[in-house]
Amino acid sequence: MRLLLVEDELDIQSFLKSSLEEAGYQVAAASDGKTAELLAVDGVFDILVVDLGLPDMDGISLILKLRQLGVRAPVLILSARRSVDDRVRGLEQGGDDYLTKPFALAELLARLRNLLKRNSPTGNEATKLRVLDLDLDLLRREATRSGEVLQLTSQEFVLLEYLCRNAGRVVTRSMILDKVWGMRIQPDTNVVDVHIYRLRGKVDGKGQQPLIRTLRGVGYVIKDR
Amino acid sequence: MLVFVFLHRFVASDIQRRSDAWLAGEVEVLGDVAERTPKDALYDRVVGEVAELAGKEVPNRDPSESSSNDSVFFLQTSGDGALQLWVGAGNGEANLRAIRASRIVPDHPTDLDVRGFGVPFRVASIRIDDGSYIYLGLSERDELRVLRSLRLRFFLLWLLLVLFGFGIVFYTTRRMLSHVREITEAASRIGHSDLSARVPTTEQKDEVGNLARTLNRMLDRIENSMHQLHTITDSLAHDLRSPLTAIRGKLEMSLSTGSHGDQAEPIVSVIEELDRLTDFLNKSLDVAEAKADALRLTRIEVDLDELLRIMIDLYEPSMSEKGLRIRLQSGGPLRIEADAALIHRMIANLFDNELKHLPAACTVSLRLTVEDDCASLIVEDDGPGFDLEVFPHLFERRVKGRDSNGHGLGLAFVDAVARAHGGAVAASNRESGGARLAVTLPLFAISAGHGKASRKKTITSSLQS
Repeated sequence: MRLLLVEDELDIQSFLKSSLEEAGYQVAAASDGKTAELLAVDGVFDILVVDLGLPDMDGISLILKLRQLGVRAPVLILSARRSVDDRVRGLEQGGDDYLTKPFALAELLARLRNLLKRNSPTGNEATKLRVLDLDLDLLRREATRSGEVLQLTSQEFVLLEYLCRNAGRVVTRSMILDKVWGMRIQPDTNVVDVHIYRLRGKVDGKGQQPLIRTLRGVGYVIKDR
Repeated sequence: MLVFVFLHRFVASDIQRRSDAWLAGEVEVLGDVAERTPKDALYDRVVGEVAELAGKEVPNRDPSESSSNDSVFFLQTSGDGALQLWVGAGNGEANLRAIRASRIVPDHPTDLDVRGFGVPFRVASIRIDDGSYIYLGLSERDELRVLRSLRLRFFLLWLLLVLFGFGIVFYTTRRMLSHVREITEAASRIGHSDLSARVPTTEQKDEVGNLARTLNRMLDRIENSMHQLHTITDSLAHDLRSPLTAIRGKLEMSLSTGSHGDQAEPIVSVIEELDRLTDFLNKSLDVAEAKADALRLTRIEVDLDELLRIMIDLYEPSMSEKGLRIRLQSGGPLRIEADAALIHRMIANLFDNELKHLPAACTVSLRLTVEDDCASLIVEDDGPGFDLEVFPHLFERRVKGRDSNGHGLGLAFVDAVARAHGGAVAASNRESGGARLAVTLPLFAISAGHGKASRKKTITSSLQS
């Protein structure tokens, strides 16, 4: 996967580059709009990560310009602005996504995967998910562990489905709030944790190998091996 | 009006002066004639003829009047007061009686009321040498007629002027008020956050044009300072967020690479502190902008009923973990035009507040209704209620109860979001104990006018496990 990273803060650029490379991306980095333009036109990228506040031009203008030049790759917008303005929302509807700073690396990686998946033509939706001995039937909305049916509420099923779709990868609390409850909020109480504890109580019974792990300060992950 | 009174007086006195002069002149002539004419059989005729001639030269006379002359009389009395000669309408008895009743001084014309005549006479007299008196009377009828027609004309002119003036005033006022109305409509459209619009201006140099231009200059300044505020908050946010991003990213990387168990714990707690700091930064800036009425809203349709149900679904496990119950009373879907992200965070703040401050075994009751084009959300609990010490400052920044561990922005944020949407928040302690927060939000943005839906049906739903 070839990724173009456009970020003017060298500090952020360097750690993003190394962690993205660690995650398996081939990363080309640019610190300003002009360089980014040249790189994007020359090379073929699968995905772009663009910071909105560039020294020579506005990130949105860069994206629009690249689109005009025929760059079709999806874009993940990084914004240090607090409120996401309408133009970013417009781009989001066009298939791109945004993330406000500061963000969890896990969230950045998850959003990149989502964007790539959305753009890949294999739209064959699975009706069953399997993580080790945990089976999810997405049509019947039923979860079984080692053949035993789990008594989940519909909300708990959605949460478990989201974790399983990202099996082996970390999901943050704000990602869970966004995807499961459809809200970008930051509660200063442990509301998400309690849901996870309850779900874990039902999924990881006594004597069974625990599947749902908590990574403190980061989020949660469901083990796939 | 005053002008008319003066004019009327002037004309009246002028007419009187002229008729007095005429009377004085004629009576003198008649006296002369009477004196010189020998007292024979022809005397009566000669003097009568002269008197009648004089009567035809009456000033201000209406030419259309009939020839029968009742506007002038001539009367001669002998020294003992008996009627000697009479020229005029009737037999002169009434005139004589009236003359006798009033004292008429020679050479001074006097008003005289005579029975049988509607209008008084102006009478001049002269004494001639043979001891008889000559009286010449002129009816004031013509004089009054002239004055009446003057009054009538003046009244018509006045009426015309008043109507004309009224028309002009009506027209200009309507024109001016329509400008003012346009300005008012435009100003109300500008509303809370959209400061880019301007009121319509005209090229005219009148007061309304000035008002519009002044309003626009004021809006320019407000927009400018608002823009500066946004720039400051944006750059502040940017300047703090960039290092926060770098710090958080590096910490996360060291967490994943160096998996030394004893180092992980402090790193994790630092990341958590950073997240709290970020949250605090966001809320502070939001509250600051909202206090300055500068929150940028992107309004879409939000179903409050649905949102509350999702929130309850999200918070219910945490609440029951703490021994709290939550109930919702709502009449079904209730859509408002609002900024979804802000409303989500506002409701989350209300729930966080209850979750943090309520002791175990309490119940939170939510009631969602429609009142006067506003959605009303009442959040009540049966806990200890608001701390009386902080009560007057509940919606200010950095205010929190003694036992609170939050950063004291929660209710300030709720208030700020409600006000940015044109709504309000009211807090009180219930009589039966417990806190009560009433949030009202307009159903529609000010610019959009739609019909309102009536929601009579109330479904009570209990969402407790």
